[in-house]
Amino acid sequence: MRQPSVIARRVAAASVTLVVAAGAAACGPKDNDAKGAGGDSKPQKGGTLTVLNANPQEDFDPARLYTSGGGNVPSLVFRTLTTRNRESGAAGAKVVPDLATDTGRPSENATVWTYTLKKGLKYEDGTPITSADIKYGIERSFAAELSGGAPYLRDWLIGGADYQGPYKDKKGLASIETPDDLTIVFHLNKPEGEFPYLATQTQFTPVPKAKDKGTKYEEHPISSGPYKVVKNENDGERLTLERNTYWSAATDAERKAYPDKIDVRSGLDSSVINQRLSASQAADAAAVTTDTNLGPAELAKVTGDKALAARVGTGHFGYTNYIAFNPKVKPFDDPKVRQAIAYAVDRSSVINAAGGSSLAEAATTYLPNQKSFGYTPYDHFPAGASGNPAKAKELLKEAGHPNGITVTLTHSNDKDFETSPEIATALQDALKKAGITVKLQGLEVNDYKDKIHSVKSEPGFFLAHWGADWPSGGPFLAPIFDGRQIVKDGANFNTGFLDDKSVNGEIDAINKLTNLDEAAQRWGALDKKIGEQALTVPLFHPVYKRLYGSAVKNIVISDWTGVLDISQVAVK
Amino acid sequence: MSEAIVASQAPGTDLASVPGASGARQFWRRLRTQRAALVAAGVVALLVLLALAAPLLTAIEGQDPTTYHPSLIDSARGGVPVGSFGGVSGDHWLGVEPQTGRDLFARLVYGARVSLGVALGATVVQVLVGVVVGVAAALGNRWIDQLLSRITDIFVAMPLMIMSLALLAIVPSSFPRPLLVAFVIGLIAWGNTAKIVRAQTLTLKGLDYVSAARLSGWNTWRIARRELLPGLAAPVITYAALLVPMNISAEAALSFLGVGVKPPTPSWGQMLTAANVWYQAAPQYLLLPAGALLVTVLALTVLGDGVRTALDPRAASRLRVGTGRKREAKADADSKKATADADSKKATADASAKMAATEADSKKATADASAKKEAEA
Repeated sequence: MRQPSVIARRVAAASVTLVVAAGAAACGPKDNDAKGAGGDSKPQKGGTLTVLNANPQEDFDPARLYTSGGGNVPSLVFRTLTTRNRESGAAGAKVVPDLATDTGRPSENATVWTYTLKKGLKYEDGTPITSADIKYGIERSFAAELSGGAPYLRDWLIGGADYQGPYKDKKGLASIETPDDLTIVFHLNKPEGEFPYLATQTQFTPVPKAKDKGTKYEEHPISSGPYKVVKNENDGERLTLERNTYWSAATDAERKAYPDKIDVRSGLDSSVINQRLSASQAADAAAVTTDTNLGPAELAKVTGDKALAARVGTGHFGYTNYIAFNPKVKPFDDPKVRQAIAYAVDRSSVINAAGGSSLAEAATTYLPNQKSFGYTPYDHFPAGASGNPAKAKELLKEAGHPNGITVTLTHSNDKDFETSPEIATALQDALKKAGITVKLQGLEVNDYKDKIHSVKSEPGFFLAHWGADWPSGGPFLAPIFDGRQIVKDGANFNTGFLDDKSVNGEIDAINKLTNLDEAAQRWGALDKKIGEQALTVPLFHPVYKRLYGSAVKNIVISDWTGVLDISQVAVK
Repeated sequence: MSEAIVASQAPGTDLASVPGASGARQFWRRLRTQRAALVAAGVVALLVLLALAAPLLTAIEGQDPTTYHPSLIDSARGGVPVGSFGGVSGDHWLGVEPQTGRDLFARLVYGARVSLGVALGATVVQVLVGVVVGVAAALGNRWIDQLLSRITDIFVAMPLMIMSLALLAIVPSSFPRPLLVAFVIGLIAWGNTAKIVRAQTLTLKGLDYVSAARLSGWNTWRIARRELLPGLAAPVITYAALLVPMNISAEAALSFLGVGVKPPTPSWGQMLTAANVWYQAAPQYLLLPAGALLVTVLALTVLGDGVRTALDPRAASRLRVGTGRKREAKADADSKKATADADSKKATADASAKMAATEADSKKATADASAKKEAEA
């Protein structure tokens, strides 16, 4: 069922990785700080906010963006039907209305979703925003030349799998109805209680058909948000955003839009970004970054300096790094061998390799340790902080390997501190104590991705990671553990080849729920149940730490994105 | 290594073919007069000893290069070593590695094994291939010479780094990595050795004693072995001595780029990669491998330079420190009578050796530059 969206999904996975790769992932105490630096005064309008980034905003077309909750810089320009709640911590993982008056009204078992637009919404040129423009924006994301978004629309909308986009198919998608200028109705092919989460993605931004220039639209996308793009140089390397005077704060409860101007400069080295933010001189005092985390060495330096340490924002993004097994490969077909490895794992040394306890939190559950995911604590194979080699040896003996085993651990040669050699060597050292000799197989990163996502070449024992498209158990568990999503000739994400009727049935049942809190609980319970099979060994959840300039105020870091929300920042 | 070759040349049966039976003794006398070369030789000997005795030394220290020590690092601060100077203590002589707590002294001495071993291995391969191809081209007929010379040109034109990156990426990871790296460097960068050997062989070939050997009915193989190889020793040793530091830099660069030896095997280049972000928080982590690399490459280069001076004093750079030209001139005057018999031959041999030396000079400049770059990184 995911076949048509394989490429999109891979792009997605890659873009999630990008976010993290920019710096070492890390985690820390759970006290999400929403402190305002640079004085006690209230945030004021005005000034220029500088954004120092590593990766240029190469795509600025709402159809092509793969974002979680509408993204950071894109969310300043594109308003969507719903959006993420712009609050710190767990409250920020809620979905709230944006262009629509509510988060959607489900009917017919959550297969039909109806939205009504707020009154008085306008584009940057003063023309009114209509529901037909939202329909058109979604339709153009189906065009092959504008691919890049998440696969869900194609999978969920009736007729979505075959639709080629409005340039080839002028009639449009019949499953999106616009009975009047303010109403839009979506018809899905199956119950999807999490549709409001999907409606936060930039594909749900209105695009006026008359202004659409196809692939050139990204040079000047028509703004519906508080800022418009004034300049876009070198394919998103340098962006200048200024106020969209037709945007009204009265219709937008989420975006604060304090600065008058946003100056995005990208293509910088991550160490340069952190150096400039810590020096915080001239324009850099009013600077933030939306893609560069502090690495372990930088953290060591920053924590030694109190003034600097006060300018670090800490956040948690729903993300899990884990060991994956292919149960078709011996000896991992034996649950006892998988359990032995789960017992032998030394999470403290893995966490040190990932950047230390401030940048990573031990994981024993597959779902991230956040309420919105339905986090249900469990530790089926308790290894403690530094492993239980005695128990592992015992299990290996029961499995018929009294003299230990020799296995190959596949990892990437990326420098991401996630699936990289540092993590693999830490595991190698820990498993040695349990009589498990680990040989390392490091692959070039593209080769590694191809291998682990192909049914034919999937290794038996490898490092993997998964990030959330939105803060819920659905996009976390379904692609990995739904037996109907095993892709035989394409990118497969169900790497444990789990095809369990009761698991598949529960996934369907939860998707019918429109009460997201109830759904979260059920996802958590399902995760706990799947965990008993030891198809994965969760290792750690990353914690993001990012510096911001000394004049930056009103820091908001939600559990949805784990990073500072640029729409809340003030520089005066 | 150079000692062995030079020594084997001493009991040369054909006195006229060697630049004097006293060549080896003269070489040692000239080398001894160069203080810098002697110091460099001492440093190199010490490094080799450290590398060979790595298991013993780490046993004395009570450590090994792969065991993690989580208690010695501050996890909350990104894994920076606890204590001053990167956690230097009686148990950990040079401190521990950030993020893992592995012993740095153990990693450094085990890393020396990889760096020196790979460099020497690569040099042996380069010299073997270079001499075989060079001599074959010089002694073969026109077609063989043309073919081998063009192949040599192709290999000279190949950028070592890019070719190695490509080769190392495609070979399965089950192949023993240090051996592979030595072979890859050795099999790509032999072109210049072959060119020098070919030129030198062509010069020697035209000399009377070789003609005499040919006229008396010796076959090509015997002429190559008995008459030519001893005459090739000097330029080849000179060039090989300068290849070693270049190969050390190449191995470090490849490991730095992530295609050299694989973790957890320590190597200096790999330590540099891991350490380059730590230069502010844990400077000794970066300075140790960088310093080791700098000292090794410098010592080997100075030694190589000394060897060249001793083998061919006329090509020695006048700017080099400690070449001991005055004392050397005296030593030369003393031994004049020993070399008198080989006067005519020596002039031609010198010309080609000078050519080799010029080439070696430019090579060395690159080696120095890359060593400096490593240190800065």
